[in-house]
Amino acid sequence: MTTRAEQELPELYGQNKATLGRLLAHGGLGRAEEGSDGRLHAHVRIPPDELMWEPSIVVMPHGGDLEIELLNDDTNTHCALLPSNGDSKWMWLPVYSRGKTVLNLDGPGYYWFGSNVGNDEGRGLVGVIAVMGDVPQEARLDRPEQPRP
Amino acid sequence: MEYIDAPPAVNFAALSTMVGTAPPVAQDVTYERILRARSEPQNWLTYYGAYDGQRYSPLDQINTENVQRLTPAWVFQFGSSGFHAGQSTYAFEAAPIVVDGVMYLSGWDGWVWAVDARTGRQLWQYKHAIPFDVSLCCGNVNRGVAVAHGKVLATTLNAHVIALDAVSGELVWDTTNGDVRAAESATVAPLVVKDKIIVGSSGGEFGVRGHLDAYYIETGERAWRTYTVPKPGEPGSDTWPDGPAWARGGGNAWVTGTYDPELNLVYWGTGNPAPDFDGAVREGDNLYTDSIIALNPDNGEIRWHYQCTPHDVWDYDSNMECILYDLDGQKLLAHFDKNGYLFTLDRRNGERVRITPFGERITWGEIDGDGRVTPKVVPDKEGEPVHFWPGPAGAKEWTHAAYSPRTEMFYVPVQDVGSEVTLRHREFKESIPYWGASVTVDADDMQGFVKAISAATGEEVWRWRNETPMSASALATAGDLVFVGRPSGEFTAFHARTGEPLWEFQTGSGHHSSPTTYSVDGRQFIAVPVGWGSWIEGIVPAMLGASHGDAVFAFALPQ
Repeated sequence: MTTRAEQELPELYGQNKATLGRLLAHGGLGRAEEGSDGRLHAHVRIPPDELMWEPSIVVMPHGGDLEIELLNDDTNTHCALLPSNGDSKWMWLPVYSRGKTVLNLDGPGYYWFGSNVGNDEGRGLVGVIAVMGDVPQEARLDRPEQPRP
Repeated sequence: MEYIDAPPAVNFAALSTMVGTAPPVAQDVTYERILRARSEPQNWLTYYGAYDGQRYSPLDQINTENVQRLTPAWVFQFGSSGFHAGQSTYAFEAAPIVVDGVMYLSGWDGWVWAVDARTGRQLWQYKHAIPFDVSLCCGNVNRGVAVAHGKVLATTLNAHVIALDAVSGELVWDTTNGDVRAAESATVAPLVVKDKIIVGSSGGEFGVRGHLDAYYIETGERAWRTYTVPKPGEPGSDTWPDGPAWARGGGNAWVTGTYDPELNLVYWGTGNPAPDFDGAVREGDNLYTDSIIALNPDNGEIRWHYQCTPHDVWDYDSNMECILYDLDGQKLLAHFDKNGYLFTLDRRNGERVRITPFGERITWGEIDGDGRVTPKVVPDKEGEPVHFWPGPAGAKEWTHAAYSPRTEMFYVPVQDVGSEVTLRHREFKESIPYWGASVTVDADDMQGFVKAISAATGEEVWRWRNETPMSASALATAGDLVFVGRPSGEFTAFHARTGEPLWEFQTGSGHHSSPTTYSVDGRQFIAVPVGWGSWIEGIVPAMLGASHGDAVFAFALPQ
């Protein structure tokens, strides 16, 4: 997948080109799919020498549980620090490894995830889980529909 | 390619020396016990220490004679991380709750902790996942938790109400309280009343419709909701024009209320109307914004109200505390409003007893002793700047005054900072700031005070001046001490009767929270969360670049 940033600014697209690291969240977008168990499922990989997640943006159609599979295709060790109600989930991702964990995100908005091992600092490997939808009707304001941006 | 299995994911807290559980001290915290909170001064059982909101403790081990020997007993540090943390995005604003040696508190970005109140060691933690893009006014903050029936109850920035198991920190229930797509959020510490908690909503600067809600402690089911802005046909709706203004009217109730169990009335302050400064789109008094409202906690019915700033165009929320006290046979309520005036009311019916100024410079208008409000400086011409004191920061922010029944004085953190406001009409859209003006807060000509005010007359007894506005809550104790933190990081003890500073400690970051006192095994502690931030450009812009931290300091006398 070629991003607009890659097309417009190819000199920025890659670690240690014009920039030392990678631009924020530009590893594409993927959608979590709802399984027969009612749980959402997504896959995210780390491509070689990119210091990024692919996709960097995981879209959940609504709040709930997300089973996310992480694959490290890089020849460096990374990890994943993922948002979830209760506590963040943390996973080692050795070279050529994969693992799954389940996250709970209870409402709309976007949540960041990353890798917090030392060599990934500097805000490489930053991703977003975007939760679509609205809050339950009973939590919404008693008023006519209002204009949105 | 052959993949190997990654090691299983773990909860991040498992990678720490955290104990993991707290002793079951919260099991026995009941409504009846909170009613008598002051009879167990070793604990700080509810937001203000007791239902009356006095922020006064009968503990006197630390007193005017020995306070000079006060030293840090422990420090709890957590560390801000993530994309929210910044100079103007978060502050540590919690009022710690203490039950039989365990401290419960909340922080920015969805954190809740249990800490050993004797040593500062972390017992458990809970993290609520908060979207990065939640619209917040004002800042990434939370003002604390409530504890009852074995549960720790809190609100979250994405407008949920949660109950945690007080032993393990695990989630018991999670109820959605507001609409983040309409820019609602929640920062308030819940108030336990009988079998329910009461919480208010945040988001007034985004043109929402404010509300208070009660939830059953056991289940999280909502018992009632009361809007602070009436819709057409409801009492008070005649104070709004025809059209959609009421639906965007603000009036959020984002600071914890107080409670009189004999009258069975909860007193809660409401926020500014929206848009903050453009009054032309909402002609009228705009009830129940900028008001003290008294509610029946059983059903949410508003029993009486007193509006402090009718048709506010200066951003003068009235969210600040309502201190309940009895004097000369009168049942009184004291409220230090952002508009610079102290309102003393009969808390049985809301009748005015006295109105006296406590702010330093008040130019926006005048309120006389009969309650008549005369606006003097109004941002009513598009593009034409006006300047007034106090600015939208208010003569006092949300942080709380204290009342000592020993001295019969209030101790008030005062801000003296003005602002230039220029009317700039804007159309309303959900989740976009809805101010109706351009605002520049003075960064040079500002100061602050701790003022002692006579509860009998409303007159100033003593004052202590600070170079910057005072933006943290006061704590009064039976040791005749008043503790207040400063934006520059000092935590200071004053003689309650004279105002003489007796002790101070530089904590390394500014104060924007509510200190607590308690004792464990007979040793009195003074605990204060420190961590500077949150809407600083609005309250003390001269301190916007100051260092910020995230520590709870607990002080005690040497053993």
